[in-house]
Amino acid sequence: MRRSHILSLLLVILVAGASFIGVLSAGWKPVLGVQLQGGVEVVLRPADEVTDEQFERAIEIIRNRVDAIGVAEPDITRQGNQVVIQLPGVKDKQRAVDLIGQTAELTFRPVQGIFDSEDPNQLSGLKQYLEGLAENSDSGGLSETSEPTDSEPPSLEEVLTPPDQDDASAQVVLLGSEGRTGFILEPAQLTGEAIEEAAATFQGQWIVNVSFNDEGAVAFDSMAVANYERQVAIVLDGVVESAPTINATEFNGQAVISGSFDEQEAKDLALVLRFGALPVEFERDDVRTVSATLGEGTLRAGVVAGLVGLALVGLYMLLYYRLLGLVAVSSLAISGATLWSIIAWLGESQGLALTLAGATGIIVSIGVQVDSNIVYYERIKEEVRRGRAVRSAADGSFRAAFSTIIWADLASLIGAGVLYQLTTGTVRGFALYLGIATLIDLAVSFFFMRPLVVLVARRLVNERRSRLGISETKEEVAT
Amino acid sequence: MSLSIKRMYQGNTSWDFLGVSRRVLVCSAVAVIICLAALLVRGLNLGIEFEGGGVWESPASEAITTDTIDDAMSSVGMDDARIQRIKGGDDIFRVRGELPSEETAESIGSVLAEAAQVDPESVSARTVSPSFGDQVAGKARRALVVFFILIALYLTLRFEWKMALGALLAVAHDIALTVGIYALFQFEISPATVVAFLTIMGYSLYDTIVVFDRVKDNERSLSLKARMTYSDLANVSLNQVIMRSINTTITSVLPVVSLLVVGSLFMGATSLQEFAVALLIGLLVGSYSSVFVAMPTVAKLKQKEPHWAEQDRSAEVLSASNSIENAAVTLAAERYDRSSPPRPRKKGRKR
Repeated sequence: MRRSHILSLLLVILVAGASFIGVLSAGWKPVLGVQLQGGVEVVLRPADEVTDEQFERAIEIIRNRVDAIGVAEPDITRQGNQVVIQLPGVKDKQRAVDLIGQTAELTFRPVQGIFDSEDPNQLSGLKQYLEGLAENSDSGGLSETSEPTDSEPPSLEEVLTPPDQDDASAQVVLLGSEGRTGFILEPAQLTGEAIEEAAATFQGQWIVNVSFNDEGAVAFDSMAVANYERQVAIVLDGVVESAPTINATEFNGQAVISGSFDEQEAKDLALVLRFGALPVEFERDDVRTVSATLGEGTLRAGVVAGLVGLALVGLYMLLYYRLLGLVAVSSLAISGATLWSIIAWLGESQGLALTLAGATGIIVSIGVQVDSNIVYYERIKEEVRRGRAVRSAADGSFRAAFSTIIWADLASLIGAGVLYQLTTGTVRGFALYLGIATLIDLAVSFFFMRPLVVLVARRLVNERRSRLGISETKEEVAT
Repeated sequence: MSLSIKRMYQGNTSWDFLGVSRRVLVCSAVAVIICLAALLVRGLNLGIEFEGGGVWESPASEAITTDTIDDAMSSVGMDDARIQRIKGGDDIFRVRGELPSEETAESIGSVLAEAAQVDPESVSARTVSPSFGDQVAGKARRALVVFFILIALYLTLRFEWKMALGALLAVAHDIALTVGIYALFQFEISPATVVAFLTIMGYSLYDTIVVFDRVKDNERSLSLKARMTYSDLANVSLNQVIMRSINTTITSVLPVVSLLVVGSLFMGATSLQEFAVALLIGLLVGSYSSVFVAMPTVAKLKQKEPHWAEQDRSAEVLSASNSIENAAVTLAAERYDRSSPPRPRKKGRKR
């Protein structure tokens, strides 16, 4: 019995110590969530019913986009019918949000005409042209220099195609991505599905290489023949991203888009071309950007509060339970080291970040852990007061105490399990870490607390009750 | 007084918890009614996660007032925005309102940064679609129902249905009080506070289970001919675990208080503050309810069982003076006296 106790103690210390040191020397650190280090968190939900396959594909595309903007520890998970995207520490937050959110279909539309959206004359002319088009559906050329009409020049909204009428098979009027140049566009000839690969490269200037799949190559060539030496607009989300001129009639599935791109623009265009078409349209349910300073402040406050709280708890346990308090403090230390290793491992291997809610779950679990000690110690004290020897009480009380601990911890685990399965986001993170910490508590109680208490009771207490915080005065013992 | 503290420390108390509980329960009932009334009248102050909308936060310097921010917000069509200066280690401005359709979260953020004269990168923002809250609330409700059913099943299997009922009643009491306080003082409900409520439920159950476990243990050790009423049994058990309850409450409350004091007063982390307030109230109410709500409910139900009803009748005839102390002695004797045949036990338990 005694040998197995010492063995168990040594084993726990070895396992906890080795994993802790291992994690430290491997340079693994817990990955901090968005709220603790700043960054972006986005929750997306499909606007319509989607199949599982479409959903998984969409998440794959989002993951690719996120990887492409180079976030250190992205965490992208499907939680029920939502996608939760966490990008802790991401630098250009707005760009990240935009790229993730881009869900619209990518189309190629031949350009019919271009106008300056800030020139009232051109707007009036355009309006007349569009009205004429609506009345008799024969298509005439756009008269760039129509006479100014008597009426007020139309506002930009009147001529632009509203987003809900932006149909691939219709003629549309859209703005360029810089917000000024307007485009009159023919029905779409090609969608993003035609594209196999797109990459930005530098060859004297920044260009984008595009390669098409077999079907796409044929369709692109036929568009090129029909629109030779004309512009073709690349349209995403109702915005003309780029409108290169077709300079050949035969591309054999390879095209080069050149223009006055800077590096960023070329790379973004390549990204859009590659992952432009999500099979699912998403709505942004929750978009959160946290500044690095706010994140750091919260983290610092949490860490300081946690440490102060731990110190107070340790002090109280030492004062109240004396030598046994020492056991409680070491149990906390062992649990802490194990928990740290697990969190760091989860961050390293699963990309799972420690969130603010998770951190609070851990602070809560301090209470659970300490309670396991208190349940046991109170049992021991009770037995000792009844006149039992300390060493035999320490051994004998564990069974009943551990049964209480198991049943109470089981309730916590049921709660954590239900919450983890049925909720998303904040609450889920809390449930995860509460569950992990509770499991650690069970293991530490059995394999560490018990043998250490028995050892302390035998070696250090020497049957002096005051060392357990029990007053020496003789009490009446019930017999 | 010093004597009773000493006895407490020695775990040698004989308080009549159940006797007191009747009066205490009246106070509880009144408190619950006040809280429910507050909930009905004032409603809950729901955060943007439930209502939809946006929140922007930026560092606040002394020189700039909330009026300046207000003007800037009005200029971009956010006349209804609520603007607060939140005190703490470093003050922050907090703007909450509906996002105007022609603006983006980013553009409002830069307007705020300009008005507060800070770097746009130091602005934090959050926008939530209106339907999101319904989903969050729906999921939380479903999780809660499943949780209650599972816990009721678990407690029925582990103990008995009467105890399951008592425990859930105590949990309902705790949640009613905590949510009521949120309605009364119009604290904002965020997912963090939902987490806090869930924690409170967990703690409350945990505490109650520890109490019930002891009662069951004591009940098993009684022989059939032992003279003891159920309320005496419950009282002795409560006295046995009361120091555990107090100590556990103290050690659980200490980290929370430090979260509240250190975290928020000195360092200005408001998200921690909200969480800690809910937790603190819930922890205190939770340990109180295990003793004064859960146990009396169970005692009330158990006293109707034939065996315990008979014990009550014979106790009336005898009218023992200090029944709790006597019961404690009886219980200790039963535990250690092996000559009397024990009650049939389900599990092969030693001692």
